[in-house]
Amino acid sequence: MSRGRGEEDDDIEDEEYEDEDQFLDDEDYDKDEDVGRGRGTSSKKRRRSVFIDDVAEEDDEDDEEDDDELYGGCGKKNSKAPRVASQFFDLEAQVDSDKEEEEDEGEDDFIVETGADLPEEDAGRRMHRHSLLVREDEQEDIEALERSIHARYARSSHTEYDEETTDVEQQALLPSVRDPKLWMVKCASGRERETAACLMQKYIDKGSELQIRSVIALDHLKNYIYVEADKEAHVREAVKGLCTLFAAKIMLVPIREMTDVLSVESKAVHLSRDTWVRMKVGTYKGDLAQVVDVDNVRQRVTVKLIPRIDLQALANKLEGREVAKKKAFVPPPRFMNVDEARALNIRVERKRNSITGDYFENIGGMLFKDGFLYKTVSMKSISAQDIKTTFDELEKFRSPSNNGEGEIVGLSTLFANRKKTHFMKGDAVIVVKGDLKNLKGWVEKVEEENVHIRPEMKGLPKTLAVNDKELCKSFEPGNHVKVVSGTKEGATGMVVKVEQHVLIILSETTKEHIRVFADDVVESSEVATGVTKIGDYELHDLVLLDNNSFGVIIRVESEAFQVLQGVPERPEASLVKLREIKCKLHKKFNLQDRYRNPVSVKDVVRILEGPCKGKQGPVEHIYKGVVFVYDRHHLENAGFICVKADSCCIVGGSRSNGNRNGDSFSRFSSFKTPPRVPPSPRRFARGDPPFDSGRRHGGGRGGHDALIGTTVKIR
Amino acid sequence: MFFHIVLERNMQLHPRHFGRNLRENLVSKLMKDVEGTCSGRHGFVVAITGIENVGKGLIRDGTGFVTFPVKYQCVVFRPFKGEILEAAVTMVNKMGFFAETGPVQIFVSNHLIPDDMEFQSGDMPNYTTSDGSVKIQKDSEVRLKIIGTRVDATEIFCIGTIKDDFLGVINDPTTA
Repeated sequence: MSRGRGEEDDDIEDEEYEDEDQFLDDEDYDKDEDVGRGRGTSSKKRRRSVFIDDVAEEDDEDDEEDDDELYGGCGKKNSKAPRVASQFFDLEAQVDSDKEEEEDEGEDDFIVETGADLPEEDAGRRMHRHSLLVREDEQEDIEALERSIHARYARSSHTEYDEETTDVEQQALLPSVRDPKLWMVKCASGRERETAACLMQKYIDKGSELQIRSVIALDHLKNYIYVEADKEAHVREAVKGLCTLFAAKIMLVPIREMTDVLSVESKAVHLSRDTWVRMKVGTYKGDLAQVVDVDNVRQRVTVKLIPRIDLQALANKLEGREVAKKKAFVPPPRFMNVDEARALNIRVERKRNSITGDYFENIGGMLFKDGFLYKTVSMKSISAQDIKTTFDELEKFRSPSNNGEGEIVGLSTLFANRKKTHFMKGDAVIVVKGDLKNLKGWVEKVEEENVHIRPEMKGLPKTLAVNDKELCKSFEPGNHVKVVSGTKEGATGMVVKVEQHVLIILSETTKEHIRVFADDVVESSEVATGVTKIGDYELHDLVLLDNNSFGVIIRVESEAFQVLQGVPERPEASLVKLREIKCKLHKKFNLQDRYRNPVSVKDVVRILEGPCKGKQGPVEHIYKGVVFVYDRHHLENAGFICVKADSCCIVGGSRSNGNRNGDSFSRFSSFKTPPRVPPSPRRFARGDPPFDSGRRHGGGRGGHDALIGTTVKIR
Repeated sequence: MFFHIVLERNMQLHPRHFGRNLRENLVSKLMKDVEGTCSGRHGFVVAITGIENVGKGLIRDGTGFVTFPVKYQCVVFRPFKGEILEAAVTMVNKMGFFAETGPVQIFVSNHLIPDDMEFQSGDMPNYTTSDGSVKIQKDSEVRLKIIGTRVDATEIFCIGTIKDDFLGVINDPTTA
């Protein structure tokens, strides 16, 4: 049947429905097309989804009659099913089944097969269809009715079918080119609602003269209103005479964006006591503040801040001494000290807040308590979403009286209002709020608002959905973690201690404790090597500085180096920028230690005098009479010690000269090279004080080259 | 904990070492290569105690080197999380103290030292209880529990705690 193909869906449905009627008519009633049609029309109206234009409906009724027989033929299968009709059944769904059958009909040859192919659906639908028809005279067969209801509701579990229709419905509802357009009109600030009301009143007065369709004023969009109309001219006409609207600025909203105008995402900001917020305006702009009291009626909050008061200027102002001129700079944040204020003769009043019963100091109209400034501001001037704070800021907020004591209050709210904490599948988490507090689990799935976790405890369902504001990543001491955001990004280490949201990690690179928020950390087995190189200069390089001094790089920081100066007397590490370094020093020097043994790089020496006396280690660098020794037990300056060459003595053999005894396998390429024997200088053993002789022997025993073959005199 | 296990390794030998002393050369090379290294799985190889067997050598194409699969017995040391060990303190600073047991270095952070012990800096920095009865300084022996390990290519590093029962100083060098 080609007729179905070329026409619109509406019509097909229409026809089918018509068929339906005819078919049934054939069965039990007189062929009453009119009745069928009439019913068809009425039911069409009902069945018709609202959005589809009803106009085209009437056209195709005549086409169907011919096919009825055929249709009836193929539909015979379930003709026995009593067409129980209850007038209460909804006719809308019938459309679907008809459509299906219509397509079946199209291929005559295959009718039987397709019928067989979709037996359940067809059968169900046919029964469905039968039951849905309105037949006033029909008697209800109770059993059949039951069956049909079962079938109908069994079928309605085909959810994809339902959703398809809703999707399609939604798409069809979107504005098209033929629908009225949305125009954006500029309006006086703060008067949007008023303007919208005025236009409505104008419409009521003028009636259909005003050709605009609607007016929209949005709360979150200031200075503009939207007018729905077909033509711009209509908008202009409507707007004429209203002083709050500026007809000069009328803009068309593109069709794609029309839906966005009306879709509003409400971000419920949970403002409660002890929430951390940031100020958006005023002298305290950008400062961290803690909410003390919330007044929803007047949309105001009382916050606690670290005051930025210049007491001197305040004193001057109060005493009328100087004209308060606009300050170009903002005073630094500092706790208010009442005694200081009194010293400057500022009047300090001690007032009692009737509501909370606390005592406040009133200085110059501002309320202070415990050094903090308590200020009442409107909700618009604070931002509560996604506040990132550093540890220092939170530290400062601890009341100056109890230093180092107690938890930082309100950390959980800080985290609650944070952006999504990037939970990943497999993370270990712990519930921190609500009934399930302290339940540990692992993340299975992350959704918009909820996170599904697999709890650790038995007896609970396999996965639980928890709001992501109530979850926090959990770690155990001994976990190897990496910091992925925040100030300490890139550091790796092992967790030493866990304090709810804060972790203490022992960093690999610096072997120091760092405090980070649990949010910023993920478990990983990576080990960070730290930054060892900036530009051409690497860690532990000997470099020449601008002012002709030299030193060894002991630490590489983000922008600069820590350099240990080459001054033996004062071990001093200074911070040096990249551009202050002239060049690297490579030259090989040969120095002699106290006992005139040649010292070169990699020899182990012991320090004989000075603050580091007794330490020993390999020589890393030699330059201009100064030796840099690396002792891993030395705590300062990353283990580097700077000494004069003659305050140390060599220990053991000289390493730089090749193989140690019997070590032929260490280097396959070299055969047993005999230790290098320099032309032995005719030297006499100096008259060493007895306590030194042991060392000399030690030196000699190690195969010290210079001694072999020399003539010595024993005293 | 120490283990005595059998490991296998493929040793490459240069033809110059062939001859009468092939086996000795192979064994010395093995010792040179393996003793003192550490791996993530077995831990630190302390010493080789014996060679179980040496397989047939396979000549490599292109070079003249020959690969022998060698099975050997050795003593290894591997620290485990949760293990309790004795260690000797090597360094004390305000972040905590370092202790060594064999080739393994263990760091005990000050957060994991009982709260009544405080850091005293000075000539010999140490941790002392408020009444001075217990002192942790260089060369003291402590019993500690390992809470986390990390294995590098060449060394094993651990973090330990003495904050639990029965942990802490065993032997004080100053009093003993």
